[in-house]
Amino acid sequence: MKYVTTISNKTFEIEIERDGSLLVNGERRVVDFLALGPSLYSILMDGLSHELVIEERDDTIEVLMRGKLYAGTVLDERAQLMAERSGGLLGDSGEMSIKSPMPGLVVAVPVAVGQAVEAGQTVIILESMKMQNELKSPRDGVVQHINVAAGQSVEQNKILVTIAELADEE
Amino acid sequence: MVPEQSQQKIKKVLVANRGEIAVRIIRACRDLGIASVAVYSEADRASLHVRYADEAVNIGPPQPRESYLRADKLLEAAHKTGADAIHPGYGFLSERSYFAQACADEGIIFIGPPPKAIDMMGDKQSARETVKKAGVPVVPGTEPGMHDDDIIARAPRIGFPLLVKATAGGGGKGMRSVYKAEDLREALASARREAESAFGNGEVYVEKLLVGARHIEFQILADTHGNTIHLGERECSIQRRHQKLVEESPSVFVDADLRRRMGEMAVRAAEACGYVNAGTIECLVDKDKNFYFLEMNTRLQVEHPVTELVTGIDLVKEQIRIARGRRMGPTHDFLEPTGWAIECRINAEDPYNNFIPSIGTISTLTIPTGPGVRVDSGVYSGYEITPYYDSMIAKLIVWGEDRGEAILRMRRALEEYVIMGVKHNIPFHQNLMNSFSFIAGMFDTKFIEERFSMTTYEEAPQERELETAAIAATLFAHRQRQLASQVVSRGDRDTSNWKWVGRWERMHR
Repeated sequence: MKYVTTISNKTFEIEIERDGSLLVNGERRVVDFLALGPSLYSILMDGLSHELVIEERDDTIEVLMRGKLYAGTVLDERAQLMAERSGGLLGDSGEMSIKSPMPGLVVAVPVAVGQAVEAGQTVIILESMKMQNELKSPRDGVVQHINVAAGQSVEQNKILVTIAELADEE
Repeated sequence: MVPEQSQQKIKKVLVANRGEIAVRIIRACRDLGIASVAVYSEADRASLHVRYADEAVNIGPPQPRESYLRADKLLEAAHKTGADAIHPGYGFLSERSYFAQACADEGIIFIGPPPKAIDMMGDKQSARETVKKAGVPVVPGTEPGMHDDDIIARAPRIGFPLLVKATAGGGGKGMRSVYKAEDLREALASARREAESAFGNGEVYVEKLLVGARHIEFQILADTHGNTIHLGERECSIQRRHQKLVEESPSVFVDADLRRRMGEMAVRAAEACGYVNAGTIECLVDKDKNFYFLEMNTRLQVEHPVTELVTGIDLVKEQIRIARGRRMGPTHDFLEPTGWAIECRINAEDPYNNFIPSIGTISTLTIPTGPGVRVDSGVYSGYEITPYYDSMIAKLIVWGEDRGEAILRMRRALEEYVIMGVKHNIPFHQNLMNSFSFIAGMFDTKFIEERFSMTTYEEAPQERELETAAIAATLFAHRQRQLASQVVSRGDRDTSNWKWVGRWERMHR
């Protein structure tokens, strides 16, 4: 089985053969992978011992190793092909949505539809846990939709604002 | 002070709080052979403090004002369960004199200071006036009850920059920094508005804004036999938006002479309000080691464990002993701390996203252990973090023979700490423990907000680490998908010498 695995924006081609042996970017590796319990794994590789906590959440695989969290995706050949066709693999294209990380009250929406925003610019101020939290745009773009207004209560994971790709300047 | 109070019996304590501090108090009760009663809101039925207590009483809906802030429900629960004392913890009703008074009126021991001491220290202005009379230095500023015009006229004599503060303030509300005279009027007006809406009291005053100052506080213990001592200092300058994040004891900035002088001042300040039980004198210390009284916290502090680790004193047990009317255990000021202790507050907040609070279910939790490591926690694997309460879920405290050992041990413990399912600030603490300024002890109260960023100290992941994570993620995904599609059945197991991916036999057990 062939997989394309992306961790922290770095991509690896990993092939797991029927007998369980492993090829990483075409190179054979001997890996002892042991499940220790729910989410807990041990890897022995090249004489090194690694303890890992691995969990899948919203199509992302999270790997915690020595107090560092790595997040990524694992696509098999078919999924990889489909992703390439739809062009969805590139993180910078298409529109991105900003969701409410928790239930709360929208205090202000300091942007308007059609407005250009920069990465890190505040697009929503949400009050929750007695704190005012500024939700920021993850990248440069244009505000495409605003689904909420100031004074509105929102549930967790509601899409608040979508940011579209900045149109190429002619 | 109150002779008839001496040698009262405490057989059952109601803990009027939740989370890690409720667990901490219940543990002290267990250590002392005292029964404990937890109270819980509807959002906290599954909380750790309910599981650890001997008895538990539901006190209503999740919103604090409907449950943990309801003095009547707490007293009713105490009567119903036959509790003879109430420990308020920190926050909620811990610094409300009417609650301490209501306990006394109903014959229940309040494990804390007398109501009068809470009153004198609760209002920032009256606290300043009280300690000033006892010869304690306060930050230069204006008196209470002044009109804006008078404050503006006085301002140049105090000198800019200035800090506008609400007399009823707390948590950074009703506070404004003012750097230029022309901005003062607007700052006063907006601080008054904010204080009025937050505390129902728009009274404000101004004091000098000390630039480059540290927040250093002294732990006080006082009993009803007239003894008042201090247990040394805590360094609390690592804070963000006036919320402390890391505390240590002792402070790199405090030498033996400063400790003696500040300790004497702290004891005087506590005596000035007739203080009894555990309390904290918070101070600002400027670059030239001039110190100023800031306020007194008339309760147990979040960061009390760092003092416990360098003095060997169990502060909660001492609180109960003092409330019983007995003499406290320690008999003299603590001038020589043993080793070094550091505490990291573990908050469910995303340090990569402006420290926004995170809620959800903790899917996996592994708590660090080993020599010199202590964890005071209110959560467990499977626990759901709700939006109703403070985002602090645990405290990680380490002890070392010296500061260097404590920092290295904290790094090790942070590496061992596994919290999955919610965002948390462990990466922030890891970066802080790697920062040269922190290691060198060069920081003030503005360090985190003005000179620290998550990217400066974050090491880029090594190629090798990324590859290991990628291999692990792939084997994990492969295993999940094979299990899901039943491609590999039990009988197909490989018997060759190959290291078998996933060790199916374990998985199928």
